[in-house]
This record gives sequence, C-alpha cells and structure tokens, in this order.
Amino acid sequence: MEKSLFQFIWKNSSRYQVAILLVTILSYPVSYILLDLPKTITNEAIQGSNFPVELFGVQLGQIQYLAVLCILFLVLVVVSNCIKLYLNVYKGRLGERMLRQLRFELFQRVLRFRLPHFKKVSSGEIIPMITAEVEDVGGFVGEAFALPAYQGGMLVVQVGFIFMQDPLLGLAAISLYPVQGYIIPKLQQKVVRLSRQRVKNVRVIADKVGESISGISEIHSNDTSAWHSADLSDRLYRNFRIRFDIYNRKYFIKFVNNFMNQLTPFFFYFIGGYLVIKGQLSIGALIAVIAAYKDLAGPWKELLAYYQMTADVSVKYQTVVENFDPPDLYDKQRLLDDESLVLKGPLTLDKLGLSGVGTGQEVHGVSLKVEPGKPLAISGVDGSGRAELLQMAAGLLSPTSGSVSVNQTSFENMSESTLGRQIAYVGGHLHVWTGTIRDNLFYGLRHRPQEKVEYEGSDLRKRQRQLKEAAMTLNPYFDLKARWEDYELADAGSMQELEDKALELCKLAGFSRDLYLLGVETVINPTETEELNGGLMPKLVEARKALREKIQNDVKLQNLVEFWDPEKFNMSANLAQNLFFASPKEHFMTIEHVPNDPQISAFLKETGFDVLLTDIGLQIAKTMVELFADVSADSELLNRYSFISREDLPEFARIVNEQKGEQRRKRLKDVDRARLIALALKLIPAKHRLGVLDDDMRDKVVAARAKFMETVGRDNERFEFFDPDTYLTTLSIEDNLVFGHARLDRRDARQKIQQVLQELVRERDLIGPIRRAAFDYQVGVAGAKLSSHQRRLICLVRALLKNAHIYVLDETANSVSETDKTLREDLRKLMSDKILMFGVSNESVAEEFSTTVHLENGRVIER
Amino acid sequence: MTIDAEVQALSRVPLFQGLEPSKLRLLAFISDRMEFQDGEHLCHQGDDGDSAFVVLSGEVAVFVDENEVARVGQYAIIGEIAILCDVPRTATLRSVGTTHILAISKDDFLKLIAEFPKVSLEIMRVLALRLEKTTRELAQARPAST
Repeated sequence: MEKSLFQFIWKNSSRYQVAILLVTILSYPVSYILLDLPKTITNEAIQGSNFPVELFGVQLGQIQYLAVLCILFLVLVVVSNCIKLYLNVYKGRLGERMLRQLRFELFQRVLRFRLPHFKKVSSGEIIPMITAEVEDVGGFVGEAFALPAYQGGMLVVQVGFIFMQDPLLGLAAISLYPVQGYIIPKLQQKVVRLSRQRVKNVRVIADKVGESISGISEIHSNDTSAWHSADLSDRLYRNFRIRFDIYNRKYFIKFVNNFMNQLTPFFFYFIGGYLVIKGQLSIGALIAVIAAYKDLAGPWKELLAYYQMTADVSVKYQTVVENFDPPDLYDKQRLLDDESLVLKGPLTLDKLGLSGVGTGQEVHGVSLKVEPGKPLAISGVDGSGRAELLQMAAGLLSPTSGSVSVNQTSFENMSESTLGRQIAYVGGHLHVWTGTIRDNLFYGLRHRPQEKVEYEGSDLRKRQRQLKEAAMTLNPYFDLKARWEDYELADAGSMQELEDKALELCKLAGFSRDLYLLGVETVINPTETEELNGGLMPKLVEARKALREKIQNDVKLQNLVEFWDPEKFNMSANLAQNLFFASPKEHFMTIEHVPNDPQISAFLKETGFDVLLTDIGLQIAKTMVELFADVSADSELLNRYSFISREDLPEFARIVNEQKGEQRRKRLKDVDRARLIALALKLIPAKHRLGVLDDDMRDKVVAARAKFMETVGRDNERFEFFDPDTYLTTLSIEDNLVFGHARLDRRDARQKIQQVLQELVRERDLIGPIRRAAFDYQVGVAGAKLSSHQRRLICLVRALLKNAHIYVLDETANSVSETDKTLREDLRKLMSDKILMFGVSNESVAEEFSTTVHLENGRVIER
Repeated sequence: MTIDAEVQALSRVPLFQGLEPSKLRLLAFISDRMEFQDGEHLCHQGDDGDSAFVVLSGEVAVFVDENEVARVGQYAIIGEIAILCDVPRTATLRSVGTTHILAISKDDFLKLIAEFPKVSLEIMRVLALRLEKTTRELAQARPAST
C-alpha cells in the first residue's frame, strides 16, 4: 500500500486532480474580472464623463453603459458561483470515492491477514481505523493539489506586483517568509507527533471500551468496574492533555504567523516612508504596495491552514496504513480466485511444525497421512497442540515448517476458493452470524452470486450507477441481491431441496427438537419462505381453530387461555391490545410511542378515548404513587411490581400532584397526557387488578375496535388485526396458534398449553413445517439468542451441508454422552468416502476410531 | 374482583390484622391472584413451601398423608409458616369446586418486611401472642397427662 498520503492520492486520482486544477485556473480570470468590475462601474460608468463610449463597436450612453456593465457583473456572479458549485461537488465526490476505495482496501487487507495476526490486533482498534480515522482523507483529497496551486499562484502574482512597484519593498514583503518557513514547520512537527499520540490513544480507548463490553460479565462478577472506570478515565485524561497541547501549539503557530504578517507593514512604513521622504518612491506606489500586501494575507493564511491540514491528515493516513501492511499478508489473488480445485485422495501432513507462538500451541514435526474413508482421531489435552495441528490441516493456519498437501499440491499454493469449499472445519471458537438460522446454515454455500439479477427501468439505471462507482473505486461488482447459495455444492436442485437436505442433517446432528422449539417462537417471513413451506400459514390457522376447540372441550384445559375474541374484552391482555385489537408492523411502535403517533392520536381524540385513557392513566398513577411512595428506590418490589419504573415514579408523582383540585385538565401538558395514556395502555386487568376498568368501560373498549379498523383501514401498512381467520405475520407461530393469552391467574397455564400445542401439531403433521419455519428464526447478535450447544450444532450442520472433501472437527460432539456417541457414529457413516480428522480430548472417545494419533506437547506419542 | 376486595380479605387474616391499610394494599398488589378448578392442587405435602394462600372464595380441602383432615373456607390463610421460614409443606391442599386464592410469595413478603420494619413488628406481636397461647395451653395440658 502507498506509504504516503500524496502517493495514494496521486496514484489513484491524478486524472481528476488535473481536471480540478484546470477548472480552478479557468475560474481565475472570472474572479479577477469580477473583482475589477465594480471599480470600472464606479469610476467609469457612474463618475465618468466621456460619453458615449464605444464597446465592441457599439456606441453607448451613460445609462446604457451602466446597464451593460451591471448585467455583465450579474452574469459573472452567476458563472463564478456555478464554477464554485461544480468544483465543490466534484471535489466532494472525488473525496468520497477515494475514501470508499481506501476503506475497502483496508477491509480487504483485514481479510488477507493471517490468523496469528489477529492475536496482535483487536477489533476495537481496527474498527476506528477503517471508519473514523480515515474520514478526514475524504475532505482532503479534493484540495490536495488544487488549493496550493491556486493560492500559491495568487501569492506569486501579488508578490510579483509588489516587486514591480519596488524591488526593495518586495524584499521587505517577503523578508519574513524564510523565518516563518523555518519556525512554523518546527512547531508543526511537534503537533504531528502529538496527533500521532492522540490517534493511538483514541484507539486504545476504543479497544478498552470494546474489551469492557465483551468482558462485561467478568467485570460484574469480579466487581472491577471501579478499576475499569479508573483505567478509562486515565486514558481520557491523557487524551485531554494531548489535545490541549495540540491546541496550544496550533494556536501558537497561528499567533506567530499573524504576528509576522503584521510585522511586515512595520518595514513598509519605515523603509517605504524613508524612501518617500527621500523622494525615491511616490506616495501612490507606497499605498498601492501596502494594499497589495493586505491581499497577500489571504492566500498566505490559506496556505498555512493547508499546510497544517496536510500535516494532520498525512499523519492520520500513515498511522492507519502502517497497521495494514504486515509482512506475511496473504496474496490478494488468494481471495479473488473463483476457480476451485477438486481435491481427491489422501491428505498428507509432512513434518508439520509450528513455532514462535505461545507455549502449548507449538507443533513439532508431525507427519501423518489421512486416507478417505478412514477417520482419524487426534487425541490430546488442551495445550497439546491439537487445535493448532487441526487448524493447519484445515488450511487455516500456515505451518512454520513442513507442509500440508493433497495430491502433492500444498495448501500454501491453493486459493481460498479451493480451501474454503473443499475443507470444512468446526473448531473450538466458532461464530454464528447475526441473521436467521437459514443465513447461518447456508453460509458455507455462499461463495459467489449464483445468478445474474435482471434489472429493468429505474432499477437497471441504479444498478449501472452502482457498478460504475464500483469500477471507479476498485470495489467488487458482486450483487448482494442475487442468490448466493450454490445448490450444486449441496447436491440440491432448488431452495426447497436444499432445505430438505438441511433438515435431514439437522436431524442427524440432533438439532431437530431445538429447531421445533425455535420454530414455534419464529415470526414467519411471509414473502420468501411461505411458498417453500407449502402454504404453512393456512394450515396453522386451521390448527389454531382445532386447538381452541380442544382446549374449550377439555375440562382440565378450559379457562387456561383467554382467546382473542372480537366481541370480548381480554382480561389477560393489556389495554392497548384490547383497544386496537391489532399488532403493529413497525418495530419502533412501542406503547410509549403510541400516544404520539398521529394516526392513533387522531383516533383517540375522535372516539373520546384520549380523555378516558388519561383518566385511567391518572388513576393508575395515583395508586402506584400511593402504593410505592414510601418504598425505597432500590427495592426490588418497585422494579418488579410497579409498572412505572423507578426513574419515572417522581415524574408521575408530580403529575398526580398537579392534577389535584379543579380545572385540572386544562393545565395538563401534552407530554404528560401522552405519559398517562401510555400508562393506561399498559394496564393488564387480570394482573394489576386495580379496578379502574368497569364493565361499561370494557364494553366501550370492545366497541371502539371496529372504529379503529375503520380509521386505519382493514388492509394497511401499519397494523395487523387480530382476526381469527387470518395468520398474523407479526406474531410468532405459537402466538398465532394459541391466539390469545395464557391466563395469568392459572398456575403453569403456559406450560400446559405448550404441551397440548405440541401434541396437536404432531397430530396434524406440522412438526416438519414448523422446523422449517425455524430457518427464519433471528439468532440475535452473533447468535446470542441460541445456547452454545445450539450454536455448535448449527456450525456442524453448516459444515456438513457444504459437502467438502476434508472434514476437520475439533471440540465438537466429543463428549462421552450417548447422544454424542451416536452422532459420532452417524458422522463416520456419512463420511465413508471423505477425509475425517476428529479432535478429542478424551481417550475413551478416541478409542472408537480405528486410527488414533496421540499428541503431547506438540509431538506424536507412540503407544 | 379488585384489589380492594383482596385488601378486605387480607385484613381478616389474624396474621395481618395489625397492618396499616396502605401496607395491606401493597401486599395485595404484589400477591398473585389465582383461580383453581375443582380437584386442582394448590400444593403438595413435602414440597418446599414458597407461598401462603388466602382463600378469597370457595373451599379448600387439607390432606395429610392422603387423609382429609380439614376443609377451610373464605378468608382462611393456609401455609403461612412457609413465608416466614423454610419448612416443607405439612399438608396437601386441593381445591373443592372453583376457588379463588391470593398467593403471597415468600420472597416478596420478606422484601416487604425488609422495607417496612413496622410490618415485621406487627407480625412479631401476633406470633408472640400465638406462642404465649400455645405455651399456656401446653402448661394446662401437662398436669393432666402426668
């Protein structure tokens, strides 16, 4: 990568820089005339006397001449501003393109880092480098050449003018430039050093914050928040000190510069005055020189600012780029190649060694040959080098000596398109991506887009523009909207078959039960997956009715659920659900947000519910304030039972206080009214039993449902109504099937219902489709909503699905439990013609395998 | 039934008799109101006791070693020892017909006591009276047996 900022800019944008320069130079005469014209207007058109004047062969009177000059002035104003606008947009766009290119290059370099490099760098440091630190480069690119050229040119012209008036004064004008030219860079050097420190310090801050987040449970379990606070606070103080130093120096530079600039007129007055008195210089010339010197200040200031910015951006660029140039970076081609060799035959590990890493991670001279169909167990405790050996066998880690090869082709010479497709690895550290289970299972098949999306009309133009920009910034052309799953790799012909295959493998991996449980919680994505699942939604609606019947006809089960009934108030649901009888499609639509929504607040006003709800809210607030007034703020009682949070309680106490006495509603502020309405909407009558809803009120709520549906329209973009005959795409499968609320006053109601639900689903052959629906389940950030066992199984299925030639499994299904034992047998069966290396720490597990290699301290131990 | 009715029921429970109405209200609010169908169990003998039950309506049969020993009705409190100390349930409770029960959980009750020392004083007083009564009864019973 280019080591200096200017190299980077020139190499990637020289063409555009020249264009900017040309337009800038072009604008120079325009702005010169524009500056000169007012003088002509006042001197010649307004105060002049030799009329008519001749202009381009036309005789003009005074008024006409004035009009012509003023119109010319107007035209030039427009032209000059248009040039400026064009230039600014051009520079801005160029800057953004260069920034995009730089960021992409940096990210691609991250992808090219070898695994051990990630032991030295943390994401907390890398992220600000790619995002915030290079940001200023974008603003600088457009100015990099044009500004010094333009302002430098101005300066030369002005200095030349002074020299032409009098060489001595010219010398006087530039006499301090050498001094400035010597002192300012000296001072700036220190600033650059400080900027470098600052950048590094901010990186450490980012890293520490990141580390605190990932280690948050350790912080809490060890009560070390004070230590971390002190640590970070110390860094912040350091940051303050550095910044303060920078300010001091920066403004001192400004001070020196200003001072020197104003020192020069001293010479003018002194030397110039002397010359005028001696009669060697005319007073007019002196005044002209002083005026010209004033004009010098502008460009000189700009140049100084430019100089400081260059120093600042350069140092930022360098401090970023030096981190992305480790000597052992993978070759770029390794990432870009799309050709995949088909690996066949045995895997050979030849005198494999790994050194220069931590103790317990070293491997010494391991030679092995693994034949297809002959699974090999690598046994060894943690720290025996097992994990590293297996990572080398999977092509993830480069050995420091020896080689891993198939058919005499070393892994070092293979591109990722071969290694990543022909080898599957599930190791100790695995990662589940944020997204759906589907995204994760099919992740191993997403190497390149598998089809070309045909665009039309405006979409086509958008795509073409995107491609053009990609070309200009050396970004890839891949279409994110295309289908990326390579069905063929998994021996499937369509998405449907691929899913079938995945379900089969989930079953083998023992993930089926989990899939069902996750499936029940899934919110189905109606557009994509519904067709694949053979019209599951109507079947679920049928099942909903059957379930309702079953529950209602069973003495033991009846009254466990309060179903959604358009004609009945649901005591186990909150008032919002009861009133709107709908579920919002927008995620941001929380109850707090409801009273502020224009559509809803109009509805509330129209039906008079704004007043009713405010009253209910006020009653609730009163009771809550009364009940919890003298409960101490940190009591759990408050957190658990009051549906006003501890922070909000004083606010509500204030509202309740203000609403005592007459003409109260008049004084109620809109914000407070919204709060009270939101509070009322949260009320669950069966749970809170506050007695604020009488029968009459409940009837009113039920009656208002139809009105609400009328107001927003039956088919609208924002709400889905609780209609017993429709599947609700905003609710989970379970909520859709139960279609009501488990009663809160019945013990274990939810568990009992879930049991009945499962029986019913089994009878109706819906288990399979529900498992399939689980593919839509959102796994949370990095799979946070899954257990670690579930994450491992997903990674295992992901690996199995991609049908690789070499399987390297470590710390996976390696316990002595029966389930794992069966799974291992199934895996061995499944891989009867593949290479399987299986890492185990338990000797008895290793004995199941026909061949076992035992590792100790990175060496193979013969037994 | 609203919280007011529950407060009324609680006020009739001897253990809570001395409590201020506002604390009773809080106690009612933090307790769970449950409905039990005919034959449903409230708790089983030998389980860990985690809550006391106040009968709001209906009837509850008390079984010890599978023999019915008593029936209790409205405003009775059952299993109150469980919310003060860790003892296994000494009896099985079964709903007769549909009953409504207010279940006071041990954790929440203890939190309430921690929050309001006066409440614990009142409870202590009631317990002391009971102890005194038991001691006296025991003293009266002893000479007769010897």
